[in-house]
Amino acid sequence: MNGAIEADLLLDYNTDMSVLERQRAHLKYLNPGFDSPLAGFFSDSSMINGGVIDGFLGTDGLNLPMIYGQTTVEGDPRLSISPETMIGTGNFKKRKFDTETKDCDGKKKKILMMNREDEVEEEDEKSKLTEQNNGSTKSIKKMKNKAKKEENSYSNDSSKVTIQKTDYIHVRARRGQATDSHSIAERVRREKISERMKFLQDLVPGCDKITGKAGMLDEIINYVQSLQRQIEFLSMKLAVVNPRPDFDMDDIFAKEVASTPMTVVPSPEMVNSGYSHEMVNSGYSNEMVSSGYLHFNPMQQVDTTSSDPLSSCFNNGQAPSMWDSHVQNLYGSLGV
Amino acid sequence: MASADKTINTDVPEKDVFAIHFLQSLSNLRTQNLFNSPDTTNYRVRKIKKAAYVSMARAAGGTSRLWSRALLRRATKGNNKIVRFPRKKRKVTWKISSKRRRSDQRAPVVEEAAERLRNLVPGGGGMETSKLMEETAHYIKCLSMQVKVMQCLVDGLSPK
Repeated sequence: MNGAIEADLLLDYNTDMSVLERQRAHLKYLNPGFDSPLAGFFSDSSMINGGVIDGFLGTDGLNLPMIYGQTTVEGDPRLSISPETMIGTGNFKKRKFDTETKDCDGKKKKILMMNREDEVEEEDEKSKLTEQNNGSTKSIKKMKNKAKKEENSYSNDSSKVTIQKTDYIHVRARRGQATDSHSIAERVRREKISERMKFLQDLVPGCDKITGKAGMLDEIINYVQSLQRQIEFLSMKLAVVNPRPDFDMDDIFAKEVASTPMTVVPSPEMVNSGYSHEMVNSGYSNEMVSSGYLHFNPMQQVDTTSSDPLSSCFNNGQAPSMWDSHVQNLYGSLGV
Repeated sequence: MASADKTINTDVPEKDVFAIHFLQSLSNLRTQNLFNSPDTTNYRVRKIKKAAYVSMARAAGGTSRLWSRALLRRATKGNNKIVRFPRKKRKVTWKISSKRRRSDQRAPVVEEAAERLRNLVPGGGGMETSKLMEETAHYIKCLSMQVKVMQCLVDGLSPK
């Protein structure tokens, strides 16, 4: 279960950046002293690694192993460095890699790396890291060389897609991944879903603290349910509250222009923010009590001052310019 | 994959639009003379609730969103003099159901939650999960807007 969660988290992290952005980030890897686009990324992934980066980097003064350490953290599943070449703290990465290949077989979309053996081989000072560094730099170089080509192809694809809706989105399989069309399509679908989940996460309050798809989906479901319940209660309230039969239109307008906007009572905030189960219950009791109270006097007279908050609460301080005619008509019809 | 994702468009009209639609529906209700006898409260409540949802669906874009279309279709089952539905070529239904069957194998955690969501969001029965989430986002925005409008109305009309 933990492995599944881990893999799930990795999935989310990797779909944070699109393939294109990842390539650009890799380009910047080669420039030393760069760390800004990675900082946020590390703060996320350091959660998983729990200080692996620190231990790894602390022993080396070389820039390149630092890059390697960085790339393996986020690029590990994609660069597919073989597990047996990892050392020391690398066994942590190895475990991560294994769980990933176990759980997410064919689930991640990768860029197909063409074997360019004639690419640059860099010489390293540390012998231990030679293999991994070669692998990583080779792949980095490959990505760099392919970056431009990929960008062009992607832009071509995008232009194709915008022109013809029936055209297919061309997707490449990543290195070390199953290349059958089903898993790729599956991966594409997964990414779509995660992207939309992120969008929903911004929309629903209180969702940024929850990680993991299941919890977030539960939160979203609760939120939708609570909104629907609120509508139901508000309609109950509206059913028992009757406006005064006769409205004085001139009077309303005079007061509407002159009056200050009424601030919305804090109760909606309470009900809105407390959409978890406990709070909703307390919100219910408030609604029940007030509607019960109102029910006893269904035909009570509402004085004209209440119509001012009505108009002003809709306007909320804005000039009631476009509202005037509408409001007039509606108030007249409401009074009937 | 990177390129072809257009940004999800969930724009929702301003509060005024929702308010106008709701007030219009309420005034229509009142002309039906429902509010004379207080013992039909339940009936009134249901009518107001239905009016709230229909006006929300109208304000949110009528038949241009899947959920609003399904809501309006559900609300005007027998007598459709309210909304005109565009004649769209329906997808063959067996295709949709076969997609759904396959989706049971895809991350059952996500799919069971999506099933619950489908029961909540109107029109969710025929949608794929990614489309469902888009519709949910728009639906949430519209619901919160409607709640604000109704709260304002209640506060304005309730006696001090």
